[in-house]
Amino acid sequence: MTERVVIVGGGMAAVRLCEGLVGADVAVTVLADERHAPYNRILLSAVLEGTHSADALTLRSAAWFEEHGIELRLDTRVVEIDRTAREVELVDGERLGFDRLVLATGAIPTLPPIRGLVRRDGTLHPKVHPFRSLEDCRRLDASVTALLETPSPRAVVVGGGLLGLQVARALSVRGVLTEVVEGADHLLASQVGPAAGGVLARDLRRLGTEVYTGARAVRMTDDGVQLDNGATLPTDLVVLTAGGRPSTALARRAGLMVRRGVVVDSALASVTDDRIHALGDCAEHRRRTTGFVPPAWEQAEVLAQVLRGQEASYDGHRNVARLRATGLDVAVLGDAQTAAGEVVEVTNPITGSHRRLVVHGGRIVAAALVGDLSRVGLITQLYDRGTILGPDEPGQLLLPEAVDAPAALPDDAEVCACAGVTAGAIRACDSVAQCVDRTRATTGCGGCADVVRRLVGSAGVHRVPVG
Amino acid sequence: MATETHCPYCSLQCGMRLTGRRTPEVSAWEEFPVNQGALCRKGWSAAGLYGSRERLTSPLVRDRATGEWSAVSWDEALDMVAAGIRAAQAERGPDGVAVFGGGGLTNEKAYSLGKLARAALGTSQIDYNGRWCMSSAASAGIRAFGLDRGLPFPLADVEETDVLVLVGSNLAETMPPAARHLDRLRERGGRVVVIDPRRTPTADRADLALQPVPGTDLALALGVLHLLVAAGAVDEDYLADRTTGWADVKESVAPWWPERVERTTGISAAEVRELAAMLAGSPRVMVLTARGAEQHSTGSDTVLAWINVALALGMVGTRGGGYGCLTGQGNGQGGREHGQKADQLPGYRRIDDPVARAHVAGVWGVDPESLPGPGRSAYELLEALGTDDGPSAMLVFGSNIVVSAPNATHVTQRLESLDLLVVCDFVMSETAAIADVVLPVTQWAEETGTMTNLEGRVVLRQKAITPPSGARSDLDVIAGLAVRLSSVPFATAPEEVFAELGRASAGGPADYSSITYDRIRDEGGVFWGGERLFGSSFAHPDGRARMYAVEHRGAAEQPCADYPLHLTTGRVLAQYQSGAQTRRVRALPDDGPFVELHPLVAGRIGVAHGEPVSISTRRGTMSAPARVVTTIRPDTVFVPFHWVGANRLTNDALDPASKMPEFKVCAARLSAVVVAG
Repeated sequence: MTERVVIVGGGMAAVRLCEGLVGADVAVTVLADERHAPYNRILLSAVLEGTHSADALTLRSAAWFEEHGIELRLDTRVVEIDRTAREVELVDGERLGFDRLVLATGAIPTLPPIRGLVRRDGTLHPKVHPFRSLEDCRRLDASVTALLETPSPRAVVVGGGLLGLQVARALSVRGVLTEVVEGADHLLASQVGPAAGGVLARDLRRLGTEVYTGARAVRMTDDGVQLDNGATLPTDLVVLTAGGRPSTALARRAGLMVRRGVVVDSALASVTDDRIHALGDCAEHRRRTTGFVPPAWEQAEVLAQVLRGQEASYDGHRNVARLRATGLDVAVLGDAQTAAGEVVEVTNPITGSHRRLVVHGGRIVAAALVGDLSRVGLITQLYDRGTILGPDEPGQLLLPEAVDAPAALPDDAEVCACAGVTAGAIRACDSVAQCVDRTRATTGCGGCADVVRRLVGSAGVHRVPVG
Repeated sequence: MATETHCPYCSLQCGMRLTGRRTPEVSAWEEFPVNQGALCRKGWSAAGLYGSRERLTSPLVRDRATGEWSAVSWDEALDMVAAGIRAAQAERGPDGVAVFGGGGLTNEKAYSLGKLARAALGTSQIDYNGRWCMSSAASAGIRAFGLDRGLPFPLADVEETDVLVLVGSNLAETMPPAARHLDRLRERGGRVVVIDPRRTPTADRADLALQPVPGTDLALALGVLHLLVAAGAVDEDYLADRTTGWADVKESVAPWWPERVERTTGISAAEVRELAAMLAGSPRVMVLTARGAEQHSTGSDTVLAWINVALALGMVGTRGGGYGCLTGQGNGQGGREHGQKADQLPGYRRIDDPVARAHVAGVWGVDPESLPGPGRSAYELLEALGTDDGPSAMLVFGSNIVVSAPNATHVTQRLESLDLLVVCDFVMSETAAIADVVLPVTQWAEETGTMTNLEGRVVLRQKAITPPSGARSDLDVIAGLAVRLSSVPFATAPEEVFAELGRASAGGPADYSSITYDRIRDEGGVFWGGERLFGSSFAHPDGRARMYAVEHRGAAEQPCADYPLHLTTGRVLAQYQSGAQTRRVRALPDDGPFVELHPLVAGRIGVAHGEPVSISTRRGTMSAPARVVTTIRPDTVFVPFHWVGANRLTNDALDPASKMPEFKVCAARLSAVVVAG
């Protein structure tokens, strides 16, 4: 009997799960509330910035779902889960049966407590934009395009987290004078410490974006955004990027255990009902919710195996959070503020960099890199693979990379590898022509020609720096 | 009187002149277009093998009980081999005997070897070491373009591009004269990108050098294509007119944003963007892959991913742009075209194609029904040796399996389990040393034959000196065996064999029927299929290139707590392949193997430059001096493969399409060797 799997949500976790279920003996239905085929949500700020075409966001087209026998229903909202009947009810009253239900409902943007943000009729103030969906992005993009026709357009971004900084940079690159308001005492407060936040604020100011930290937006007026310190920031646009919370209303109403997210076990099944699973932003595993794609995808891979009837369990994850914003360099590996371990840290406010490694048992268990990502590729590998480092390595990883200094060539150093000619043999020649004739140096790959030119005729004049 | 000929080593097949009757002298042949007189030290010293005391001049038979060798006459040796073949086939059927060839053999030998297997022995069990060279690129080329010719244009076209992307090639060391093209390209204002976990001498000549985690070149290609799509930099007209499959490929790269690529490849997102921007902003882009990208269990998909980049930019088939593979072995190209590959007949025909079988059987004068079907790929064949349903006898030509096979300890055990191992070589290679019969053959400059270089240019290696008495050509060995097995006749004069090869290849994808020795002499080599391919159409029936959506899977063996480092292998300038030739040339330095590692790792295990280190994988262990350099990724170590040892470590995971073993990455552990005393 083919199991019916119903997936509520059509975001990045859902599409990954569908990929993992291709060819499995299950009948999959995806109920997605957005109107677009699943797309790459995390690139929306790049679309806003203009560096990524909106057409190229689609992760899987409707045709792909059809080709793989997966029913994709867009613009479809689920209002109720009937656990007894094992059915979900859609907004139009239609009921769909399931053997397994997957909640991939994601997160919904948090509305900060700002007076005047929501009007009496429940709609947002016309200057205010959330930024979570492609629809949000398109609306904001249209507003920006229109504003750019007016003199000195201004925007305020409420929320100085990863998304807020990405949006702020995107608006700024587009030519909108942008300011960032963050309630905590430094930027990116949930990922990095005050020193790193300070480096970022300085970078943003250098790029023309003013930053207000430890300040809350309290009121939306016709003049702009009023802060709790009394100042009013005049603006044409307000973008809300103050984070999100797991979308758990359906699960709650169905009586599933919900704390911050839908509480799941290592099979990503609800601890209340093992026929119902949850993954991605809406799920809570071992008291952690995520908000990032990589763990959601790891969960999707595990859940696909579970739904195929294979042994698989989810054992938590390692996350790497990267800021995607032109001119700002941030990578946060794991919980750089709270992870237990020894901290090796270098802050250089003069050059604008802050790097912190948290090391436990020789392993990098968390890290924050701001303003200098020169070794991000290596540090990420060491973190992901749990490589045990020697005692000197964490410190050395934060020093400038060792480069072999150009040394004076000793006579026995090989200069022309193709013909096997030493510096001494070249020095003993009077001219390049003689050298070629006598030693065949430069006649292979030709790479040593410059060095040969400098060395010929320098016999006795040792310690000529070459390089 | 100088003889114009070609170097005995790599696929560049540099032209050179030889003078002298006994020990030839090498001099430049400036008129030959590929290298224009340039040679590396291997080429200059190529004659150093002449007069070597290690040269074999008499057939040798090994007594298994005592291990002692005794010289026998050619007739005795060939009779013994023929008897062994008959015994094996009587017991196990036609497939009881296997043939193993090499990518260094001339076209004539490769062709005759395939004919020997199919028409004289009737065995399907033939493959060759080229399977371990560029088979992943070959498989990808056939799937994407309908045809595999390493470079579908002359090498010199490299100078005409604007951005040259070298994926896993260290040509400045492996084929030094080719590096001149990089310099000329850059003098013209073009730029060079090198992708290699080590910053090699080739990377030192690059404008952008990226050092990915071994086994992640595919993810990098996906990330580059993602950015090209995002920037609207793909050539939609070209894709619509000349390709199929673009929609799937486009969708498949949507999840490969730069930061994800960074986490997978260890290349920073900024560098991925820099590469994509370079490609997006250049009128002509050329992508060339080599073993670094190809010798993986995901090698053929990796090549397909880079081909997709070249196709998406609308480059394939344009002058100064496109995709190519830098073939490795001297006759890597020709060796894969004329029938020593398990699934092929001459002319790059498929052995399971009835029309091809009928045509080739006609040329050979045998019944098409009598030809066997496809056999095992090289590694699968070696794994089967001596097993219940595998061959019990094997003939080896032009290959030193004990050094060059992956998981070599295991492979050596398989070779030792044979009832009969016959090796044709001109020195006592490590493989010959465990054979039952060793047949001394002629070498380069003692015989004539054609090679097909990395550009698909057929060149003529001409006989310059008289071979030592006692040595015979592989062609004579093959014909001698055929007579004893009462098969159809085999020609032994190279020009005659070449003409037959031409007839057998006529009408096939690699059609040599119009090429003659005289044309090769007159024209500085002859390209099969024409100088430049794909200008107006690809070789699939619909004329379009096919794009395949491929996924990153990564190396088969990932680092873990016990084996925390990546091991990669490769070549050094002064040596060639298994070193059977170059290690015996006195003018070439032979410092032995080494383990290249980063100072961070050296500090971690407490070893200094030059001190011995032990390196282990799940398959074996070797020790060698540490070479501590800052030019390698700190999570990766490198060992050259010219000596026994490196391939005891390597992984035998195979690419599902090409059957290429994963030479280029496995998980390893390092430790300092404590010297007693």
